[in-house]
Parts: sequence; C-alpha cells; structure tokens
Amino acid sequence: MGNPVAIIGIGQTEHGKRMDVAYPELVREAVVRVYEDAGLEPDDIEGIVSGTMPSMMEGVALTHFYLADAMASKGKTILKTETCGSTGMSLAHTAYYWVSSGIADLVMAVGHEKMNEGDSQATMTTVGDPFYQRYFISGAPGVFSMQSQMWSVRYGLAEEKIRDAAAFISLTHHDSAFDNPYAHIKKRLTAEEIKTARIITYPVRLWDVCPNSDGACAVIFASQKMVKKLGIKKAAWVKGVGFSGEEQFFGDSDKAVWQSAVLAVRQAYSQAGIKNPLKELDVAEVYNPFTFQEMMFYECFGFCELGEAPDMVLRGSFTRNGDLPCDPSGGTLCTNPIGATGLIRTAEAALQVMGKAGDHQIPGAKLALSHAMGGIDQFNGIMIVGSEL
Amino acid sequence: MPKKVGIAAVAQNAGVESKDNFYDQSYKITKEILDKAGLKREELETIISAASDIFHGGISCANSYYWETTGAFLKPGSRQDGESLFAFFYGVMRILSGDYDTALVIALCKGSENPENDACTLMYADPFYQRMIGMNETMAAAMQMRIYMERYGIAEEQCAKVVVKNLANALGNPYAHRKGRFTVDDVLGSDRIIDPLTQMQIAPKSEGMVALLLASEEKAKKLTSKPVWFRGFGNSIDHYYIGDRDLLDSPLKTAAARAYKMAGISRPRKEIDIAEITEPYAFQELIWCEDLGFCGPGEGGKMIDSGATQKTGDIPVNPSGGVLANNPYVSRGLQRVVEATLQLRGEAGERQVDKKMKTALAHGTHGFAGQCHAVAILGV
Repeated sequence: MGNPVAIIGIGQTEHGKRMDVAYPELVREAVVRVYEDAGLEPDDIEGIVSGTMPSMMEGVALTHFYLADAMASKGKTILKTETCGSTGMSLAHTAYYWVSSGIADLVMAVGHEKMNEGDSQATMTTVGDPFYQRYFISGAPGVFSMQSQMWSVRYGLAEEKIRDAAAFISLTHHDSAFDNPYAHIKKRLTAEEIKTARIITYPVRLWDVCPNSDGACAVIFASQKMVKKLGIKKAAWVKGVGFSGEEQFFGDSDKAVWQSAVLAVRQAYSQAGIKNPLKELDVAEVYNPFTFQEMMFYECFGFCELGEAPDMVLRGSFTRNGDLPCDPSGGTLCTNPIGATGLIRTAEAALQVMGKAGDHQIPGAKLALSHAMGGIDQFNGIMIVGSEL
Repeated sequence: MPKKVGIAAVAQNAGVESKDNFYDQSYKITKEILDKAGLKREELETIISAASDIFHGGISCANSYYWETTGAFLKPGSRQDGESLFAFFYGVMRILSGDYDTALVIALCKGSENPENDACTLMYADPFYQRMIGMNETMAAAMQMRIYMERYGIAEEQCAKVVVKNLANALGNPYAHRKGRFTVDDVLGSDRIIDPLTQMQIAPKSEGMVALLLASEEKAKKLTSKPVWFRGFGNSIDHYYIGDRDLLDSPLKTAAARAYKMAGISRPRKEIDIAEITEPYAFQELIWCEDLGFCGPGEGGKMIDSGATQKTGDIPVNPSGGVLANNPYVSRGLQRVVEATLQLRGEAGERQVDKKMKTALAHGTHGFAGQCHAVAILGV
C-alpha cells in the first residue's frame, strides 16, 4: 500500500423520506456536518470526489455540476466516481488512492441519493441490457432473489432454516436502527410478522428488503502528515482496500459462491494482514439490502464456512454481542440512499474504530470491515479500517 | 513508491458511425492496446473506465454493461463519469500509490446510439429553473460567445477560422469524423443553430472508444521504447447557476495553474510544444488559449489571425482536428491525451507536427460554458 491514509471526519444526514429539503440542501447537510466534525473549513480541502446512482434516479445528469455549490466545490479539483450500487465504496477508494498517491493531503468524498424523487426500481431495470435481461429483470429484488435461491439449492439449505435466519437478521437490524440517529426505518418487529409479510420476490418478503431513502454522507480522508499537523487524536486508518467486478450477463457465472466478493475481500485481507477474519475483525458493516444475501456475504468473506451462515446466524454469532457483530448501525436493510450507502458503511466502520458510534458502539472495536456491492450481481468493494496506523 | 508514471500504449477508434456494436468496439480497442503493449489480460492489474449514463444509449450504470469487454473481469477497477480526463488522473493515482504497476484507462462512448448531444446536456439543467427555458450546452455556449465578442471585440470571422483550421487539420487524421477544406464564408453561411453559433461551429456527435495504458516507471520502460511521461494534472469547477458566473472568468485558469505547478511550467507559451484542447464550440478554442496562458485576455482572436496555432505555428493547437472534427463526448478528453502522446512519440502520421517536441498539453471540458475543466501535461 502507498502512503498511510486516515479518515478524520464524518458527516451524515438524517436519512429517510426527506421531503423537507431539495436535493442540493440534503447534500449540503452532510457537507456542513463533515466540516464541523473534522474542525475544518471548505478552504482546507484540496479535492472532492462525489457520486451517485445513474441520472435516471433523480432526473439530473452529471450531478457534480448541479451540486457544486452544495459541496462548496468551486475552484477545487473534482472527480466523479460511479460504479452502480457499489458507488459509495468506490468513492472511498478514490479518496484513498488520491491521498495514498501523495498527490493530496485532504480529500472529501461525498455520496448522495434522493430516491423519493424518482422511481428506483424503474431506474434499476434500465441497468440490464435492452435486448435480453431487461425484459425479465424488474429492479433489484428479482436478481438478488434468484441469487439466494441458487445459494440455498447449492448447499441444500432447508427453506425453513434460511427463512428463520433471515427473519433473525431482519429483526436484529431493525432493532439496532433505533440506536442509530441517522437510520431511516426504525420499527419493532416480531419474527412472525417478518415471516408472514407480503412477498416481494420469492423468497424475499417486505422486511427482508431495504427501503428507498434520501440521504447523503461525506467523509474526509487525510494523509499521515496532515493527521499530525492537525493534532488529530481519533482517526480511522485505512488498512486494506479491495474491489472486483464481473460480467453483465448474470447467468454466465456462479453467484452462489460470489467470485467478485471473494476476490475483493481477499485483496483487502492481504493488505491488512488478516488471516482469520472472524477472530481478527471486531465489527463488519456488510452491504445488506437483502437479508438472504447478507448470509452469502458472511460466507464469501470467510466469517464462516460455505453453507454454514444460517446456523451461525441463528446461534447469534453476528449480533451486537456475538463473535463478529455485523451491521450494528442497522445496515443497508434499514437505510439505503444508494449512492451514499457504500460510503455510509465505511463511515460507520470508521465511527466504530474511533469509538464514536454512540449508542450502537461495539465496545473496544479496533478493526472493522466495510463493504458495498452493485450492478447485476457484479461488483464488490471492501475497505478495512483500524484504530491504529 | 514510483515517482513517475508512463504512458506505454494508446489506441482509439474512428469517430464515424460504426456497424460494430458497443461490445465489439470496446473489446477491439482493449485487445488492440494490450497487443500493442505485449501484455496479456491476466497481467493487466487495474482498469479505470470513463463513461456516462446519460451518453450511454439508454442503459444505466454504464460500467455494469461493458465491464468484461474492457478486460476487467474479476479485476479491481472503477469508473469516472462525464469526463475521461478524470479517469486518466485516477489511473495515475493508482500507479503512484504503488499498489499497481499497470492501469488501463479506457473511455467509452458510442455516439451513434445516443440522442443529440443537447438532449443529453439538457439533463444537466436543474429541473425547476434552467431546464424550463431549455438550457443546454449549446445555449450556454451561445451566450458565452456573445459576451466574448462584445467584451473583447472578437469578430465572428475569427471564431470561424478555428473551424477552417481544425477541419483542414482533420484531413490528416484517419479517426476524425468530420473533415475538409472550408472557408470562413462556408462556416458562417451554415445554418444558424442558436445565434451567434452556426452549425459548423458546433462539434458533431461521434463514436469513441479511447484507451491508454499507464505503467510505473520501471514497467513502462519494459513495455515500450518510447514512453511518454505524466508530468502534471489540474482541474477545477465553477458555480452551478450560469447567472452566478462570469462566463469569461473560467475555472480553466485554476486548472491550468495547478497542472503547470505540478509540471514545473512557468511560461506555457514557450514551454508547451503542442496542445490538444476540447473546443466543442469554435470560439472556445480562442478563450481556452487565453485561459491556458498562450496569449493575454481578449487576444484569442489575434492569436488565430497570427497563425501561431496552425500546425506550422509556434504552438500548434489541435493538429488532430480537435473536438470540432471528432466529438465522442465523454471520451474526448482522453482522446486529447492520446493525440498528444502520438505527437510526442512522432507517431501521428499525416497530422504529425514537424518539429522537435518535449512537452504537450491535453485539455478537457464539460458542462455549461465550461463549468468544469481538466488539464494534463505530458513530456518525453
């Protein structure tokens, strides 16, 4: 890895259905907060990287123009990173490489989405090519439901067991969201309610799916020199990054053992020197828009053996008191402003290792994994952060 | 960590409408550049692409569509939106970080499958104020041209000379979409699109798969006997609302200053041997020459009159024919880098500038009246 890079500031909006603000105002809210958090002014920053989902989501293209004033970016070096659902993680990666290369000492990453001003599922349907896939992939749940079916068949997982495990995940995450001031969906649910909720795409039911959220997240990345110069005590150091991508036609490859997830995490573990993630990691913010998929990630990331995730979930291994707490923020399942979501995972991981996660703090967390995925089952990105350089 | 980043190979396709589909086009360019560098796909380490959903034939999340055709299957990578020079810069960062020794930077835009450029640029406009009045890049450019002519007494004929020069230069460029010998009268006599802009002063809508292979210093020397080195980069952005801006005080000055500082350039007119700049509207070449420090404010007209920017002049601008000849919107910035590289390597064929060259500048812009600019400096 290149020059050491640290996260030194985080700003999030209250995510949710934010009809009280326009899109630029929403972004402004996160940007103002990140500067307050880091004790910096817009003038201090050298570069800004922003990103979102495709223009169809809100009906404005190349939003670095529209949001220039909201991000206070006039006169600054700017980049615009987008990789579909993994955009937020790709933003964190861009800011990381920018500082790690030695070109800049202070860079801000801003992810944003105002999904309630558009039709997210119609937008996502246009990700599929217009000739073959678009006709039978309607939005995100179709693809991810098929993936979870493939996984359950591969390992002969009993339908009842994975249903119970998915309900367990949904219930605990929705509970956790009450402890996260920025989370969108806060609802006390029972396992029975979750298991009998209306079907979205079999086997996925309403409480197995993330919401449409409005929200923005801004994160400031700094060089080691700048951390010293500013006298910053609590920083989250980037220990490993990884990314991998697959082809568009999702019938062409195995999604039960998701190769891009496996390769992305392998790259990040190798940089961070992690051999036994379940033991070494203190917390993980896994990108979990669907409960069933979250279990596949546990397996691909080596938190357990292939096909074992449902048992581990039901044993409580990934709860806030478990071996490896996953998504103590409530995760993507409770909050999903897509362009921001991956960056929120990194921000939450950073808050944990800085000891600033408030009511959803995992005591003593020192090493945390953050993750995002995107495309038609195509992209996975990882960033691991730690409390020590 | 490597100190220098080299360009080991370049490739581009022609701007005219192709019968090849998007996948074939991007695959062929990827294959061509890997073959040129003698690199196997398996050896390529990371891929940064540039594409924009709004210029992507009605398919959202552009990288989702073409990922495997750029050699990126099961590889780490990322995408930049809107401006391919962003992807160039990001590729440079990845090499400088020391994590990668090779990075493919590839820009993808199949103009023939897109609606008219301005149907897309209209979507830059906010939906409440500017879009209602039909604001798009051409309308913004027309206003900028009017202010430019009025403030500095620039004549329409001087703007038209840019078209005459660039389309004649394009005769030597096999990739150019639009080319030919025209007169100032031809240019001014073409259809008036938005006053004072006439049709020939506006760039066309072209195809463009453009690729460039970046490598660390050591690796670049292994891959090519004629590496071209990255020397500097700068970009900058202006306020959003066009009424909040002075359209003649563009962020290009800041972008250029940053690039010059990184490259250690203090007298751009003297030190830069050739410039490939993005001039989707003819008069913009004159303004951008001023902002790049090639001449003083308001002197762009005199500069084109003097012949300094001709292929035979002291600072040739757009010997490839520029964007007026070939406009694959998102890819055009990276295409400038590719053209500048070919010039420095002496491999530009009939469009080769006939002088000894050390330093070249590549420029990209997008947004209303140049809301965003990027500048790259290359050297041998």
